[in-house]
This record gives sequence, C-alpha cells and structure tokens, in this order.
Amino acid sequence: MNAVAVPARAASRTLASTDHKRIASAACMVAFLFFLAGGLLALLMRSQLAADGGVVSQQTYNELFTMHGSTMVYLVIVPVALAVGLYFVPLQVGAAEIAGPRVALAGLWMLVCGGMAMWSGFLTSGGAAAASWWGFDPLSDSIHSPGSGMELWIFGVMLATLGQILWAGCILSTALRRRAPGMTLMRMPVFTWTMVVTCLMVVFGFPALLLALGLLWAQRHFGGVLVGGAGAVDYQALFWFYGHPVVYVMFFPFVGMVGEVLATFSSRRFFGYSAFVVALLAFAGLSMTVWAHHMFTFGVLSNKYFALTSTALIVPAGIEYFDFLATLWRGSLRFTTAFLFALGFLVQFLVGGLTGVILASPPLDYGLNMSYFVVAHFHYTIFAGSAFGLFAGIYYWFPKITGTMLRERLGKLHFVLMVLGTNVTFFPMFILGAEGMTRRIARYPASTGWQGLNILETAGSAVIALSVLVFMANMLVSLRDRHPAGDDPWGAHTLEWATSSPPPRHNFRALPAIRSYAPLLDLREAREDVNV
Amino acid sequence: MGNTLHAYEHVQDVYLPIAVGVFVVVVGTLLVLLARGGRRKVPGGRSQALVLEAVYAGALALVAAFLLWVTFTAETPIDRTAAHPGFRIRVIAAQWSWRFVYPDGVSVADVDTWHPTPAYVPTGTEVEFAGSSEDVIHGFWVPELHYQRQLVPGYTTRFDLLFQKPGYYGGECSVLCGEDHSEMHFALEAVSLQRFRGWLAREASRQELAS
Repeated sequence: MNAVAVPARAASRTLASTDHKRIASAACMVAFLFFLAGGLLALLMRSQLAADGGVVSQQTYNELFTMHGSTMVYLVIVPVALAVGLYFVPLQVGAAEIAGPRVALAGLWMLVCGGMAMWSGFLTSGGAAAASWWGFDPLSDSIHSPGSGMELWIFGVMLATLGQILWAGCILSTALRRRAPGMTLMRMPVFTWTMVVTCLMVVFGFPALLLALGLLWAQRHFGGVLVGGAGAVDYQALFWFYGHPVVYVMFFPFVGMVGEVLATFSSRRFFGYSAFVVALLAFAGLSMTVWAHHMFTFGVLSNKYFALTSTALIVPAGIEYFDFLATLWRGSLRFTTAFLFALGFLVQFLVGGLTGVILASPPLDYGLNMSYFVVAHFHYTIFAGSAFGLFAGIYYWFPKITGTMLRERLGKLHFVLMVLGTNVTFFPMFILGAEGMTRRIARYPASTGWQGLNILETAGSAVIALSVLVFMANMLVSLRDRHPAGDDPWGAHTLEWATSSPPPRHNFRALPAIRSYAPLLDLREAREDVNV
Repeated sequence: MGNTLHAYEHVQDVYLPIAVGVFVVVVGTLLVLLARGGRRKVPGGRSQALVLEAVYAGALALVAAFLLWVTFTAETPIDRTAAHPGFRIRVIAAQWSWRFVYPDGVSVADVDTWHPTPAYVPTGTEVEFAGSSEDVIHGFWVPELHYQRQLVPGYTTRFDLLFQKPGYYGGECSVLCGEDHSEMHFALEAVSLQRFRGWLAREASRQELAS
C-alpha cells in the first residue's frame, strides 16, 4: 500500500499544491520541458538553413519557426519570468503565502493545457500553426490558414496568456498587500521591484492579446470582424500593444536577477536603488507607448511619434546600466558561475539594446525590418540577454530552492560553451540581415553566398545545445551527490536567505528587522560594527 | 528628393559609430572594474549619487534628442511622395507573385521564382510605386536601396524610389506570406530614361502582338 501512496502523494503535492514554491517549481519544470522542445525545433531550422533547404518542406519550416517562437515566448520566457516571481516575491517581502494561491495553481494548469493545445497542432492532418508567433491576419484567417492547427494555436495561446495574467495579479497583490512589517515599498528588493513593474505591464498589456486573438477566432468562424486592410492593421496594432510590453516582460525580471547577483557577489549594497526604481517605472510606462515601431514599414501610423518614444528608452536603460556598473565599483568581487552569467547578460544584452536603438530609427528600419538583422537583435536581447540573466538566477537561487549547491566547475563549462555558442549563432545574423536575407525563409538562392555563414550559425547552435546538456548534467550530479547549501551560502542581502533552504511551508520561522532593501547586509554590518 | 539609399547611409554613419563607441566604453569600464574588484578584499564606496545620476539622465536625453534630430531630418524627405514623379508604376503582390504594371498597360510578372524577369525603371528621376496586395500582407523590399514597405490588402501604398546607378536591383518579399514566401522574388533593372522609353515601347508592341 505504501508503495502506491508515496508516489501518489508526491504527485498530488507537485500537481495540486497551493504552496507558491511548489507551483513555481512545477511551472519552471514545465517551461524547461517546453524550452527543450522549442530548442529542438530551432536545431531543425538551423539544419534546414545550413543544408540550404534540404531537410524539411517549406510548409513544415513555417510550422517550425511559428512553433519555435510561440513556444519560447508564450510557454518559456514569459512563464519562467513570472514563475521565478511566484517563488521569490513572497519570500523577498517576508510573506508567509502568495495572494490567491488557488488562482496561481489555476495559472499553472492553464500553461500546461495551453502549451499542449498549441503543440497538438502537429498531430492534426494540416499540421501545426504556420503563421508566425504573431499569428497575423489575414495570413491567419480561415482562407489562408485553414485547419485545426491554427485553431489549437489560438486556443492554446489565449489559455496560457490568461494564466499569465492571473499569475501577475497574484504577484502584484502579494507585493502590494502582503509585505512584512517594516518592508515599505522603497525597501522592496530590486528583483521584487522588477517583478512589480513586470506584472503591471502584464496586467495592462496582455488583455490586448486576448482581444486580438478573440477577434481573430471570431473572424475565422463568422467573418466580418477583421475586414480587409483595416482589419489587418487593427490586428497588428492590438497584437503589438501586447507585443511590445511583452518584450520587457521578458527582460525586467532578468534585470532584477542580475541586479541581485551583482550586488551579492560584489559584497556591497546595490547602487542607486531609488534611481533604479524610478527608471523601471519610467521604462514600464514608456513600454506602453512604443508598440507601432514594429509597424514603421506600414506607413499608416505616425512613425516619428513611435521613433520618439522608442528612442527615449535609452534614458531609463542607460540609468540601469549605470547602476549595474556602479554596483561593481569598489566592490569585492567573487567570480561565481552566477556572477559570470550576470556579466554575460550585461555585455551581450548591450548588443541587443544598441541594435534596438538602430531599429528605432525609421530610415534604418526601412532597410533592416523583417531581415535577419532583426532576428539577431531580438535573440541578443532574449537569448544572449534574458536567458543569461535566467541562468544567473538559477545558479544563484538553486541552493535556496533545493537546499543543494550546483557544481561550480560544470557551471563554468556551461557558461563558456553558452557564450561561444550564442555569439557564433547569432552574430553572423546581423551581417546576413544587412546583406538582404529575409527572416522566415526556408531556402535561399546559392548565388547569394549566404550558405557559409549559415553553416557557421548552425555549428554555433550545436554548441548551445551542448551547453544545455552540460547544465542538465550539472543539475543531475548536484541532486544525486548533494553538497548542502545551508541558509545563506552566498552572503546575500535579501530575506529569502533568512530562512532554511528549501524554505518551510509558510516560508519563515522568524524575520529579522527590515530597515533597508538589504536587511541581511544591515545585520552583517551591525555585527561588524559591534566587533570593531 | 527621396533618396532612400542616401538617407540610410547618412543615419547609419551617425548611429553605428555611436553604438560601437558606447559598447567599447561600457565593456572597457566593466573590464577595469572587474580587474580592480577581483583584488579588493574589503568592499566600500557609497551606494547612491542622485545628483550625478540626474545629470547623467539629462545627458542621455540630449543624446536621444540628437539621434532623433538626425533620424527625423533624414526621414521626412523619404516619407514624402513627389507631386510630379518622373514615372508611376503599379506593384501588385499576391501569393506568390509580383506584377509590375506600367501606365500604358505593359506588365511584367514574376511568379514563384528565384530568377525573376526584370521590370525596367528609369534612373535619375523619382519613380512612384503604388503598391497593393490581393490576399495577405506582403513586403516589397529592395535591399540595395535599403527600403521596404508592407503592402496591405485593401490599401494602396505609395512611395518614391530613386535609382541613381543603372543596374540590376534584386527584390524579395519580406513579410511571411505563406508556403512559398521564400520563392517570392522580383527584380528591377535601372536604365537611362532614354533606354527605358525604348524598352517600354518595345514591350508595348510585343505584348500587344502576343495578345
């Protein structure tokens, strides 16, 4: 009897627990599985382009990049960003629980069901959705994309997105209403602040996607909703009203992780906290005003207005970078794996950010839009940036979540391989884009001379795959042969390190006094003062 | 005069050196901080400098203003269409073909091909294109001129292009438009106005004979 009861209890704990830590861990595992699946699609795409179109048919290729992009955005980066918030925001603000635990659990199941709906398109006779992760009308209407793959995609994306809105509501309420005594808004840790602005963008921006997809669904079934050119423009305006905030939803939480990691491993207080918070809020506000820079080449909206708001982003972004560098200034640095990934984020995201300023200029965008230059740009932000920030967070917080340290030497191997693979894969795309290679093509004429760089990129993607395998091996080795972490292995600053690893069901047995955004650092400094 | 090539190169000549410069300065600063911070045993330093950050934010705003000034002055002429263009050509995109229609009925069509038949255009004068799509959104992209516009069904998209140098200009559909998106190429052959008129007259009589 026991043999059945134990796994059954483990399963119900994982799948039906209302503990925010279990929900978040399960969500991270689900997102990681989707990451592996989406990564496999990317490897297939890279094989196709290295072999110059010899691996899959054009229609299949369209399905591959549609599902790759949709998976990575809707099922990996956005959910994992919010899931890390679900885990750590209650801990960082000293709360015993997340606000709305059952709602958060519902969000997990919406992610699982939505993702499975999207992927089940591959099992239908017409194949999976093939109208790109934007699913833009009229290509996605019932005439140009018949079949149930597209239907399942619409349903799945809506479900996963609805779950993300619910999660954002839970995290936002926790940060605003469940803070421990003494934890004022301006003492919330950097990561919690990035999650607050992230959730604000989710709550304000994501409903536009539900609306766009709802209209698209109605158009497919009843017609007369998204009519002609106006319908196409309306759909994209709605989509990008979601689509630009989502870009920063895939960015801010990782900025927060990098901020925590830099401060901890510089052994000093995060620099410029209040300026950073103001910059985040300005960034989030501006993010709601820039959407049509994705539509410069339509020529039907005011390009200059959107160029203005987009270029203005360099002010808050510049402040964030200033604070990061100033945190290292006069710090005592410890080059852990988490710290290396944070540095990787700083350097590589900068490439993505600076090329973003270039694309925000319409005369340049007219020449580069829809080309591989754009593909390189957003992979430098989302993969070379956010994914590196995520790994910084994983190496930093894995000991807290599991009670076990990850291996540093395997971690550093993972880091070196991933830096190499990322830059070899994505940097040549800038060159190909400027030379005129359009995105989303399954083949290209040999006379273009693009095959050499494409082969190089594909080799790079294999190195990325290898680095992910090293990471998985690291997790397995570390969980098998455990090196116990203790409460605070890093000498960190924030409340999640003031409890056991992993934390108990209700997070804390006792809380230290909270007098700043770095309460544990305050304690250490007070002790040192006494000793002196 | 709407010279897209010139506008692109002008803006790029300002933006690219600034971007490279910022990258070098940030990475250089980072390396110095890492070298010094790796040796330091006791951390120190202040954790706030609001006045400095406010001045820095002001400087960033000035940089943004300068970039926008460069962008706007370059964009205005290329967004404008000439009142009296040297020539008007209709471009009709469809899954998966391009059709170029000239005022006197001459047309050039490229269907699903990597080896398009060039449509002729005159050099040295603005050519107005009136683009439209028959089904989904397509993208009219001439990489050598650094210019593209999306052709949205139901809209007529007007834009001017200037071909300064004679020669072959390849073009592609830049917006995903379905299964054969990769095959949707077109080509423009820029020739002197005189040769262009000759080609147009020959095509007119040839196409009349054919019909």
